[in-house]
Amino acid sequence: MTMRGIRIVVQGAFLLLFVFLFLQTESKGNDELGYPVRLFLDFDPLILITTLLSAHAAATGFLFSLVVIAGTILLGRVFCGWICPFGTLHNMVGAFSRRASKLSPRWNMLKYLLLVFLLVSALFGMQLVGLFDPLSLLIRSFSVGIYPAIASLTNASLDVLYGTGNATVNSLADILSDLVKKLYMPFQQPFYEQGWFVSLIFFGLLGLNFVEKRFWCRNLCPLGALLGLLSRQSLLKRSVSEGCNECGSCNRVCQGGATPHEKGQWQPTECLYCWNCDDVCPKNAVSFGFGAKTQTGSLDIGRRRIVTAALSGAVAVPMLRTTPLARQGFHNPALVRPPGSLEEHEFLRRCVKCGECMKVCITGGLQPTLMEAGLEGIWSPLLIPKIGYCEYRCTLCGQVCPTGAISKLTIEEKAKVSIGIAMIDKGRCLPYAHSTPCIVCEEVCPTGKKAIWLEEVKVKDAEGKIVMVKQPHVDLKTCIGCGICEARCPVLDKPAIYISSIGETRSKTNKLLL
Amino acid sequence: MKRRDFIRLSALTSLTVAAGIDSFLAKAFAAAPPVDLAVVTGPSPAKITAAAVDALGGIRSFISRGDVVVVKPNIGWDRTPEYAANTNPEVVGAIVRLCLEAGAKKVKVFDRPVNDPRRCYVQSGIAEAVKSSGAELSYIDDRKFRDTKINGSALKSWPLYSELMEADKVINVPIAKHHSLARLTMGMKNWMGVMGGSRWSIHQKIDESLVDLATAIKPTLVILDAVRILTANGPQGGNLKDVKKLDTVVAGVNQVAVDAYGASLFGMKPADLGYLRIAAQKGLGPLDISRMKIKKVTVS
Repeated sequence: MTMRGIRIVVQGAFLLLFVFLFLQTESKGNDELGYPVRLFLDFDPLILITTLLSAHAAATGFLFSLVVIAGTILLGRVFCGWICPFGTLHNMVGAFSRRASKLSPRWNMLKYLLLVFLLVSALFGMQLVGLFDPLSLLIRSFSVGIYPAIASLTNASLDVLYGTGNATVNSLADILSDLVKKLYMPFQQPFYEQGWFVSLIFFGLLGLNFVEKRFWCRNLCPLGALLGLLSRQSLLKRSVSEGCNECGSCNRVCQGGATPHEKGQWQPTECLYCWNCDDVCPKNAVSFGFGAKTQTGSLDIGRRRIVTAALSGAVAVPMLRTTPLARQGFHNPALVRPPGSLEEHEFLRRCVKCGECMKVCITGGLQPTLMEAGLEGIWSPLLIPKIGYCEYRCTLCGQVCPTGAISKLTIEEKAKVSIGIAMIDKGRCLPYAHSTPCIVCEEVCPTGKKAIWLEEVKVKDAEGKIVMVKQPHVDLKTCIGCGICEARCPVLDKPAIYISSIGETRSKTNKLLL
Repeated sequence: MKRRDFIRLSALTSLTVAAGIDSFLAKAFAAAPPVDLAVVTGPSPAKITAAAVDALGGIRSFISRGDVVVVKPNIGWDRTPEYAANTNPEVVGAIVRLCLEAGAKKVKVFDRPVNDPRRCYVQSGIAEAVKSSGAELSYIDDRKFRDTKINGSALKSWPLYSELMEADKVINVPIAKHHSLARLTMGMKNWMGVMGGSRWSIHQKIDESLVDLATAIKPTLVILDAVRILTANGPQGGNLKDVKKLDTVVAGVNQVAVDAYGASLFGMKPADLGYLRIAAQKGLGPLDISRMKIKKVTVS
């Protein structure tokens, strides 16, 4: 097998591993998942570095990414060419693109400028890397966009089969249903706000392969840029023997746009080590090896451009922070963060919007924000209890968070963490407004001593008859804001009890009680 | 007719006749169990469950060979067994094993929980108990709810779970717990777990709705788990102080009678519960425990 063949097999294996871990990011009813589902993120050195800059801390999992740093210094951007699942997807889509690139190779400096922008904004305490980091972007797109759409399509197809009412077709549908459940289907259909938006960006990036193959990897990916900078002096080098007649075959198959066809101009920062050039060379003049003394092309981004990108990164921070949300004591009632989330500013310094928490959330209530946390916090998680409440004894979001933006809590610790407080809308609540019995919020309240207590009250109904109802009250000291009351309230369209972020344990200012 | 064919035919005939007698006997017993209720106490939930079924005439008087049986526990909450929020897993496992021993073709166990179904099934211990007993534990599939005519005073019709409605035999295995509106949740209220749709609205007329459900669903057998009962902060509890260990199960064929006895475990009178009063008025079952034939057994 050629090196190119081996590379394709390895890429396939890592893509499968990625998909497997993604599918395992789902509860089976136990307290833990049993698989290191965020493994790819742990190996991401870009997140390690920006988190160090923005939060002056890094989750322990990121020690794995030192392996990628060391590996890249030794071997070059092998991660991009052989491992990165997003890169592999670009490869696959690019295979359908026949067009030879007409773009100037200078486009490739965009990714370095983006990297500089992200590093400088991180230095000033703003973590924007998640928007562009390929692994965060990929997991987020899968979690809130692609996977829910696949599940929906599968269910719709099964519904068509079940809808026929034919017994044979129905039993076939049963078999198919069991099969897809075992293979890939989620436990329940996920629904996410902005699924379409995140997907659109994802498909847009894949579509850029039709402008230029691996457009994202060559020109935009900030992780690729970081690894490119690390691979300037890599030991694994490409050399071309005397037999080369500069026919240009290698340039047409080069994935990274590393100018392989011009002698002495090969750029190790752009090379993805895909081995295509070696494979395709009609003269068999290309080889990769250690210690070869090779003259290489230099990376010239331009000092002015770098300064501009750095300044933009610095300016972006105050630009994005002068929203009312940044004002002391100003809180968005809808911004209910997952349990264990750090204080908001600290949270935003770490969250990379990877969507792991949203994927794993057992009720599907964790949703990507749009502007609730400002543009800085776009696609960070917030709980919308009407979509799914926070399950009292579930601690999965903290377990999968790669950066520690959501702390890992034990069940006992979590029971003491409040993410908000339930408020009653007396104008909609049945026992208050409509003299009608209902105790559902109290019934489902999970705190051992219930945070909702009932007051027995005599009220008049429409006929003037006296009826006894139990009116709910919230005990502010006991309520943890899990929102099961809101999720189960029979006033479905706009629940008569709802969670407000006030009282959240993580905030010193968003407090209600003395 | 060849000799071999004759033997085959006569063998088949005798089998058919035997099976007929079997089901005839089963029906005869089901119509008249030796006692109204069996109340069995002892340290082993599995043993007291088996003893309670024996006291009612044995599992074969309820389950025939080839039956598709649904065992319906309460698996409503993400709680471990000691919190008495879900039916005791050993009680569920024991009844499943009895059904299989009686020749049931299939024993299905399910519930529509309030908390996440995966956590409820696993944390309650029922997933493990059912698996090791050889039955089929399945999650509720929304496609399997069918609008069912009830024609009751509160519920005219409701989507109910077809697997339960179409089963040959249904065994209700509730747990006895406090509930702030119905006061107690036991057997009759356990049918909420096979209701589809937005079932929370039945709380507006809880007593009438529960009686309507009990007219629509008639179990073959009810086994009320009172190994641990939840006396406050029900129905999901969460505080061990509210749990009382009684090491008891109450079994019977009439769901009103079983719930009536269940009320006494909490020091209440059956008539204290609105749904039992209405059920008795409608002739669904007796309330007066003193007039029931009760066999009390202690199993060490």
